[in-house]
Amino acid sequence: MTDRFTEATGTSVIGGVERRASRSLWRLVGPVLALGAVLALVPLRLGDSRVQMGVAVVGLAFACYTIGFNLIFGSTGQLFLCAGALAGIGGYGAAILADEVGLPIPVSILLATLVATLTGALLSWIAVRRSLGVIFTGIVTLIFTLSFANLLLGLGNLTGGESGFLIESGGDSFLRRQIPPYYVMLVIVLGCLLAHGLLRRSHAGWAFRALRDDEVAAELAGVDVARYRVYAAGIGSAMLGLTGAVYALTEGRVSPTTFGFAEVDVVVVVMLAFGGIGSLYGPILGAAVFTVVDELFVDLGQLRLMAYGALVIMLFLWVPKGVIPTLSGLWRRRAGRVSPRRGGSPG
Amino acid sequence: MTAAIFDGIVIGLRFGLLAAGLTLVYGLGGVLLLAYGQVTVISAVVIIFAMDAGIPALPAVGLALVAGGFMGLVLDLTILRPVYRRHGEARVLLSLLLTLGVAFIVDGFLNWRYPLLGLTLRIGGGPIEIIGVRMPRGSVVASAIAIVAMVGLLSFFRWTTLGRAARSVIEDQEGARLVGIDPHRMLRLILVLSGVLAALVAATQAMVRLIDVRSGFELTVFALIVTVVGGLGSVTGALLAGIILGIIYAIALTYIGTSLSLIILLAAAAITIVIRPAGLLGVRE
Repeated sequence: MTDRFTEATGTSVIGGVERRASRSLWRLVGPVLALGAVLALVPLRLGDSRVQMGVAVVGLAFACYTIGFNLIFGSTGQLFLCAGALAGIGGYGAAILADEVGLPIPVSILLATLVATLTGALLSWIAVRRSLGVIFTGIVTLIFTLSFANLLLGLGNLTGGESGFLIESGGDSFLRRQIPPYYVMLVIVLGCLLAHGLLRRSHAGWAFRALRDDEVAAELAGVDVARYRVYAAGIGSAMLGLTGAVYALTEGRVSPTTFGFAEVDVVVVVMLAFGGIGSLYGPILGAAVFTVVDELFVDLGQLRLMAYGALVIMLFLWVPKGVIPTLSGLWRRRAGRVSPRRGGSPG
Repeated sequence: MTAAIFDGIVIGLRFGLLAAGLTLVYGLGGVLLLAYGQVTVISAVVIIFAMDAGIPALPAVGLALVAGGFMGLVLDLTILRPVYRRHGEARVLLSLLLTLGVAFIVDGFLNWRYPLLGLTLRIGGGPIEIIGVRMPRGSVVASAIAIVAMVGLLSFFRWTTLGRAARSVIEDQEGARLVGIDPHRMLRLILVLSGVLAALVAATQAMVRLIDVRSGFELTVFALIVTVVGGLGSVTGALLAGIILGIIYAIALTYIGTSLSLIILLAAAAITIVIRPAGLLGVRE
């Protein structure tokens, strides 16, 4: 299976042990902090405009969604087409717990994230137990997405139905001001990135790569494929739920389209495929590029969708592996090195 | 109750017809067409324009069938070319993503140029009574067309040489190649066929309810669900799954609201997939 879509970014499992031992923790934390420092400067340029800060926060939220989806799909090959629904559980859950039940905001965010985590883990458990393939997992989770959307409409007096509802809790806190939400979201992005990076370095990372390259071989080698899949789905869903919850509270409203399939899942798949499925920084690059592209296309109205479609097609025809793996492949060939920097963006 | 079951069969026949094209393309080529609903929508647009130009309904539908087949051919010759060079899971994923791009382009264009376009075909005359249940004439005609099309499709695969050749590719691509069947030409044929089926869905769907330029995504998703429940690659399975899901939905609809009925329909589909991942009539690989 050399031409698998989710091909590892050029790392061979054999002979990797020595390399890994020599790599200190700083090689992970350093770039993440540097990225954080660069992104922390964005409000200096855009801070005056409420609209642009809003766009930046959405971009960061999508970076988190994409990291979560990448952990589930990129690392363990489970096509979860319910990223939006899981984020929606976080968003609606936190909003309802805070507004209707009257829980403090941090508690409602935590509880909602927990529900999203358990839901994701349950879906993964079902898929693993029934050994559903990629497409079947995709369909079951797509069905979950559609059910969730219909549930939101059906429980209209709790969720506000089609139009959603305005969240009253936290209205006067820093979450609704112009700049602070950006930094809150940035912390979550960096946290997700570090979590994913640490997971890749741990024994779980080895299990992920092994089961993605050859599931049967991994199983035979003693990797508990089922357990790692469920773990990955749970952690990824936690990222999705947490981001959804925090985003909903900073935005001050939730509606079905905030977490819709077309609005979240499709975009996340495109962002990840652009950046590079399975790569650590791919989600960041994808989210950054498509947030900017989206803003550039904003005047085109419906033509935006057409441009999006054309872009998607060209992307998958020309760089099917994603930008970061392609670039790091080129970089490695030029540098003539055998050992790659896994997932790291050159320059 | 009888009325609900009849309604369910009417819905189910449409679901089945919709899923048949998708299931064939997947079974034969390992390709998932996410732009399938868009082919239906474009066919509906063709019918609208033809009828606006003064062409009677029947030739207009004929024109749409030709257009549908042509779209299948175009997909095969353009966007699916690079897909055919891949195999296994990578092939499914690439086909899914590329046709998603096509779906975006079609949706974007139609919403931009003709946002208000919608098609309903009115069949004249009052309701028809079948064993004591009064059914709208449009539903009956649509179901009759769907049944004829399904019977035609099944006999094509059972009794004609071409149909058997296509089935042999579904069962064993290498084996088919060895006895001199070109899988790529078969796939092209099936794509044209599924385009025609999509156009037929446009006509029958329009007899029962409105198709507008935003229906594409919903149509694709339902086709996909019915396809998987029925078993990928099985036309009979698609028909069976469509009718079962249709009846479940119609019965739920008579007792509870729309969105909860949809959830019951979706739950039924999910449970079937989880219990029988190969689908009702599929063979597990």
